Amino acid sequence: MSPTMRRYVRYALVLLLSVSLILFTQEIKLLKNPDSTPITSMTFVGLGILWLFSFIGVIIADLMKLVPIKVIRDFPILGWVSIASLTMCLVSDFFVEAIQSVDFLAITTPILTVAGISVANRLVDLRKTSWKVAIVAVFVFAGTYLCSALLAQLGLFLAEN
Amino acid sequence: MVKNFVYFLVFVLAVIAAAELIGIQTISIGSMTISMLPLVFAIAIAMILALPFLRKGILKKIYSKKNVDFASKYLIFIMLPLMARYGSDVAPQIREILQVGWVFIIQEIGNLGTVLIGLPIAILIGLRREAIGATLGIGREGELAYISEKYTLESPEGRGVISLYVIGTLFGTMFFSIFAPILLDFGFRVEALAMASGVGSGSMMSASSATLVARVPEMESTILAYASASQLLTSFIGTFTMVFLAAPLQQFMYKFLVRGDKK
Repeated sequence: MSPTMRRYVRYALVLLLSVSLILFTQEIKLLKNPDSTPITSMTFVGLGILWLFSFIGVIIADLMKLVPIKVIRDFPILGWVSIASLTMCLVSDFFVEAIQSVDFLAITTPILTVAGISVANRLVDLRKTSWKVAIVAVFVFAGTYLCSALLAQLGLFLAEN
Repeated sequence: MVKNFVYFLVFVLAVIAAAELIGIQTISIGSMTISMLPLVFAIAIAMILALPFLRKGILKKIYSKKNVDFASKYLIFIMLPLMARYGSDVAPQIREILQVGWVFIIQEIGNLGTVLIGLPIAILIGLRREAIGATLGIGREGELAYISEKYTLESPEGRGVISLYVIGTLFGTMFFSIFAPILLDFGFRVEALAMASGVGSGSMMSASSATLVARVPEMESTILAYASASQLLTSFIGTFTMVFLAAPLQQFMYKFLVRGDKK
């Protein structure tokens, strides 16, 4: 197997791990609360589609590395995945329906679990910086909300006059 | 190698199961309601068990260098299905979004407030490269993935974004459920605040819009519609705002603000 091929196989397996964890999470959610998003055959189709769109995004991101425009080369994989998914979802409602049968919060829990493990060896560093970042965080959150509210207020005022 | 990974996998499943069984916890402080989602418990459990003094026996095997490296190297790929999910949230509403149009789009530019207000404060209190990660955005998955791709999470920028991510995860919803009604008292229109609620985090958006509904119940449907439409827009074009506006603005302001530093 060529190194490129091997890399893609590894990405495909990690993505498979990711969607499997989502399924597991949704199952546990159902055990806890039988009224949450049910697992149907559409859920499996939805997970398969999420896997496929993610993989397409990875391939697009790799292909775009060949483009001689810096902003396109630097555009993150996650952006390509969203674009690929939005395009496909506009083409067919079937994709939307299938993806929506995957519980949204069930997608988030596995990500945060892996994120928690990935920071394991940096906890000490984190303790060093986080009080400053905590102060900054207040201004960062306030900043985005306040600026958006000001622009929205102005926009609505202009729209109605 | 394989055995190592089995420990990792079983541990991930156990943490997910524990977090989901704890479920959504609501704490009421006076008239304020704070909701904690399973994702908060998931990251908290995974981080607490990683504390150095706990790393003995099985935990030492789980948090082996290989496993931790695997988690940080492939975190982006674990996140990709979430990015794919956003496409399906935007697509069915694209027509409505286009109709309400430009007001939604200009208020997206307000997301640069993280850089405009956050960066000078960060530099003032002595942060340097960490500030890049901590003020690029509100430190959700998008910024995390962008910083991790551009600088890696081991870099100072990476530490900044992770700190903000953790703080946001733990306290973000609490912050917005307090801040939104304060601005209402300052005379902002509830529609404007509803639009601003789409900051790019589902839980923060729900916290902010839910408190607005509690304050102005007769506007409930408008608030929820505006908040979720704005959220959909942010979850999609937020990446563009970040890459093409926030990041260049941040680089420019950063160079300007730290020009007095000794080499």
